[in-house]
Amino acid sequence: MGIIRGPAVSSASMATTTATSPPVNRDVPLVRRVALGGPYVLLTFRHPEVAEGARAGQFVMIKASTVSDPILRRPFSIMSVDPREGAFTLFLKVVGPGSRALAELRPDEEAGCLGPLGRPFTPPPEGHEAVCVAGGYGIAPFVLFGDELRRAGRRARVFYGGRSAADLQLRDPFAALEAPLACATDDGTFGHRGRVTEAVDAYLATRPGPVTLYACGPDAMLHAVAHLAEQRGLPAQVSLDPWMGCGLGTCLGCVVRIRRANETRAKYRCACTEGPVFDARDVVWA
Amino acid sequence: MRLEVALGGLRLKNPLIAASGTFGYGVEYEGILDLSILGGIVSKGLYLEPRDGCAVPRIVETPSGLLNAIGLQGVGIRAFVKDVLPRLARYDTAVIVNVCGDTVEEYAEVARIADAPGVAGLEVNISCPNVKKGGMAFGGDPRMTHEVVSAVRRATRLPVIPKLSPNVADVTVFARVCEEAGADALSCINTLLGLAIDVERRVPRLAFGTGGLSGPAIRPIAVRMAWQAARAVRIPVIGVGGITGVEDALEFLIAGCRAVQIGTANFVDPGIYTRILDGLAAYLERHRLESVEEVVGTLRFAEAEEPGGPRS
Repeated sequence: MGIIRGPAVSSASMATTTATSPPVNRDVPLVRRVALGGPYVLLTFRHPEVAEGARAGQFVMIKASTVSDPILRRPFSIMSVDPREGAFTLFLKVVGPGSRALAELRPDEEAGCLGPLGRPFTPPPEGHEAVCVAGGYGIAPFVLFGDELRRAGRRARVFYGGRSAADLQLRDPFAALEAPLACATDDGTFGHRGRVTEAVDAYLATRPGPVTLYACGPDAMLHAVAHLAEQRGLPAQVSLDPWMGCGLGTCLGCVVRIRRANETRAKYRCACTEGPVFDARDVVWA
Repeated sequence: MRLEVALGGLRLKNPLIAASGTFGYGVEYEGILDLSILGGIVSKGLYLEPRDGCAVPRIVETPSGLLNAIGLQGVGIRAFVKDVLPRLARYDTAVIVNVCGDTVEEYAEVARIADAPGVAGLEVNISCPNVKKGGMAFGGDPRMTHEVVSAVRRATRLPVIPKLSPNVADVTVFARVCEEAGADALSCINTLLGLAIDVERRVPRLAFGTGGLSGPAIRPIAVRMAWQAARAVRIPVIGVGGITGVEDALEFLIAGCRAVQIGTANFVDPGIYTRILDGLAAYLERHRLESVEEVVGTLRFAEAEEPGGPRS
């Protein structure tokens, strides 16, 4: 199972392969579009293989077929899947022409899509609580992660940070997942006033028992979570989001500096094929 | 209806080749598309030793284009021959190795090692704009071009295919030099040297500074240069630059190219080969042609006199 990944030619990099479904390239029709507040939108596309095989932390490369420029597809975390409908949903923030073109698709209009891609989050060891830290649209993969954990009789605890209340548009799904949700905003308009990592730190200070940290969001937040994990001696998995060209490890545009425990020096590794989820200890922060 | 083409000692089942640096080592696309539908695959650029490549950011999008400075990150020729070639052997496609070097000697040594069972030809990278030594520095100087191509020629019996740089005043000079040095075909063109600037920070948007521009933005330039090169030499020319569909591929064929390479579009849609092959078959049928080779070099100008001077 599993396609042979981009870095397959460097044998050292194959040590931590996680079994995942092979990506499938298709034109996918838009099934549904749900506008949330401001620049946020939920987009559901029909793609049976993603719906069936995607795991939390994986992503798709996708581009509206209605536009030729910009030319590259964009990576988006898979927010949820519905195998019965054969569809997956993205939580998308419109930030530029690529995301805007996607957000403006009408039902049955198509996007070119390759997925599922990348290495997913690894569930926490038995007895560990999964503490998820999200910044902005980095919340998306934790819906699917919360769902996976719940189906395994476990649950995620989620910390969700943004600049302002208007940036915390994806709160509802966590109630259905029975995942405790704590929010933080820089301007104090919702939840804790300040950094989301401060709220996480305060929670960890209550000595909740064994914890594995998961993080997805801006680099500065990921770095802060990695720092927190190091200070408290906790395992942490971070989902990196560098600029990505192909999703298959061939353009070599999305490389990040990674140094694994047994290595003497850091190596450039593709976030698309060896990530986007990495062990926080292995990331060499810029 | 025949899609086969003869190409300087190579026979390709069809004229579509995956361009170097845009298709990894081929194996990355296993399972996503059937590699046997490709006429050929050109590997990522390979030196004697593995290379780390440039710092990040390495890619940035510009209007209808992609500016990159990857810097030839790669596994090295020995790892390619040992680990990748056996995996490519199960596919019916021509495997072409993109040969790089910091020195003339390194090009020749890489070429010797690359001359292994399962390799159909060698593309000589004298045009990468994103390395400090070699690359474009060789391909921008006719004397060095001759030296590198001759050295590779002596090192192998495989077809030798220099990849020309567009960052020169007259591509025909380099096309002729390569032909004289014993090249069997030419790839035309590599990326155009470009610069994108972050105006807020007033720094280049790529860590390396400048980069190579690819994608539809460069297609008319690539078609023009491939057309010039094809008129200048007797050896076949492979057109490359901004192909995203069958019409783009046909432009190069009509301009005089016997085959084409797909580059940046591999990143956008791995389904492009099927689309173009279907489109070529439909085109041949619509124009009542037996073979794709009948399309090659059929460009007609309305004027009695062709622009750009007489053919050599």
